[in-house]
Amino acid sequence: MRADRRLAYALIAPAVLILLAILAYPMARLILLSFQRFDSRSLFTGEAPLVGFDNYTRVLTDPQFWEVLARTAGVTIVTVLAVMVAGFGLAQLLRKAAGWARVTLLVGLVLIWAMPMVSSAIIWQWMFQPQYGVMNWILTRLVIFGDLSAHNWFGNTFEALTIIIVMVVWKGLPFVALTLYAGMTQIPEELYEAAALDGARAGAITRNITVPMLAPIIGVLTTLQVIWSVNSFTPFWVLTQGGPAGGTTTLSIYAYVKALSANDYGAGAAISILTVLILSTFAIVYVRRLSAQGEIS
Amino acid sequence: MNSRRSRTWASVAAMLVLVVMIFPVYWMFATAFKAPGDVLSATPQFFPWPISLDNFTRALGGDEFFVYLRNSLTVSLSTVVLAMVVAVGAAVATARFTFLGRKALLVVLVAVQMIPGSAMIIPLYLMLRQIGGLDFMPGLVLTYLTFVLPFTVWNLRGFVVNLPIELEEAAMIDGCSRFQAIVRVVLPLLAPGIVATSIFAFINAWDDYLFAYVLMRSQQNYTLPVWLVSFSTSNQIDYGATIAASVIFSLPVLIFFLLIQRKLVSGLTAGAVKG
Repeated sequence: MRADRRLAYALIAPAVLILLAILAYPMARLILLSFQRFDSRSLFTGEAPLVGFDNYTRVLTDPQFWEVLARTAGVTIVTVLAVMVAGFGLAQLLRKAAGWARVTLLVGLVLIWAMPMVSSAIIWQWMFQPQYGVMNWILTRLVIFGDLSAHNWFGNTFEALTIIIVMVVWKGLPFVALTLYAGMTQIPEELYEAAALDGARAGAITRNITVPMLAPIIGVLTTLQVIWSVNSFTPFWVLTQGGPAGGTTTLSIYAYVKALSANDYGAGAAISILTVLILSTFAIVYVRRLSAQGEIS
Repeated sequence: MNSRRSRTWASVAAMLVLVVMIFPVYWMFATAFKAPGDVLSATPQFFPWPISLDNFTRALGGDEFFVYLRNSLTVSLSTVVLAMVVAVGAAVATARFTFLGRKALLVVLVAVQMIPGSAMIIPLYLMLRQIGGLDFMPGLVLTYLTFVLPFTVWNLRGFVVNLPIELEEAAMIDGCSRFQAIVRVVLPLLAPGIVATSIFAFINAWDDYLFAYVLMRSQQNYTLPVWLVSFSTSNQIDYGATIAASVIFSLPVLIFFLLIQRKLVSGLTAGAVKG
């Protein structure tokens, strides 16, 4: 048994050492950094005096931080709600559609899932390009939105955020839909048959069978979507760089800009730590869930 | 309600949804294969006819593209190889042995995957700057390990857990040591898991934009995503060539996902059972 234990430590040691060096140490540095004044001068002198909670007070008393926080919360709520509701609808479609239609839709969803984020952002940018973008042409033909030829979607906050959210939802939908569909295939068919015999309507079946049976999966998916949505960087950065006038800046973009564009590394670190603290409540829920499923044992 | 009819309606709805959702992917390919003059036209041309490879020629023109392709491949492959070398041992250890701190390690492996990249990049940038590791491929590889390694260990562990332990026990009854049993029995059976996990790890590194964008400052060190975005945000943007380059960049990932499409869905089902 003792030899076994030694073997276990030998097997785990390289990974643990590397994780300590590239994850634990940087995280410690990030925490320390959030208590230091670290600006462009520190980059060259290496001097970064400890300033206590100064960075946190600066961040928390800056109205812009609260604006960004509120925007991040809003974007996250809308994104997660949309992706969960639409994902559930898609999963229902997959369950009810005929075999050929199901397979075709599955393949389509897998393709969207596989699209690299950078390519997706670039193609959305191109579709919404003011003069030559295909979307302005289509939307103008639909008449209800009025004449949108040469309309610049990234010129105002609301429209820019809308497009980013629609893109993020589009990219996130396949994973949610396929996972929920996989869950639905595990619900015993007898439950549906019994409900149908009792004359239950489709809505009642969804409410009383499908949703309760899928509750654990819905919980895990929602948690993951919240975390991914808050962490999202590339779609925002490629489509708007946080603009116009900071109007699409979320916490991730804000921390990045503060630290690496404005060279206020202390503030950037403080924003990052606050983000991680907010996310950790969701991460705890997720880890508990995995633990309850016996994934961590 | 007639279930036959509801099935037909669901199929029709599924196809309508598919047409709308797949459009951006279609539009990427359609744009890439248009003649350059047809890309920028006030009335969009919905089918790329006549098909032209001109956009691809311009995207691949000069040696630039191949420099970035080589950078992307080098960084992604090195990350995968390094991660695999240490992850296999860690996966076996956490799946098959009990030792002090094992549970804590598993929790950490899951939890660190939730740290935003924009938070990690701040200290990583400063650390690499300190040791002169900016604009330096091995430095980028190290930062990629921060997200690839936890994912790899966690994923591989799942594969090890699903192997029947009786095989190792039988090998040990036949005189193998524990270590020999791992090398001769577990590793060969783990091969499919190693291949699958490697490819996912590769895609994770391949897709990264943020880390490469921050750390790789000189143009000859760009990876494909950094180049694509710099291409797309420049003032004189050549949409046809940018989109054609995006196609080339996305194609390996799209093909891989299509190949494993069936397994992907059944894998989700297996995960869902535990839900």
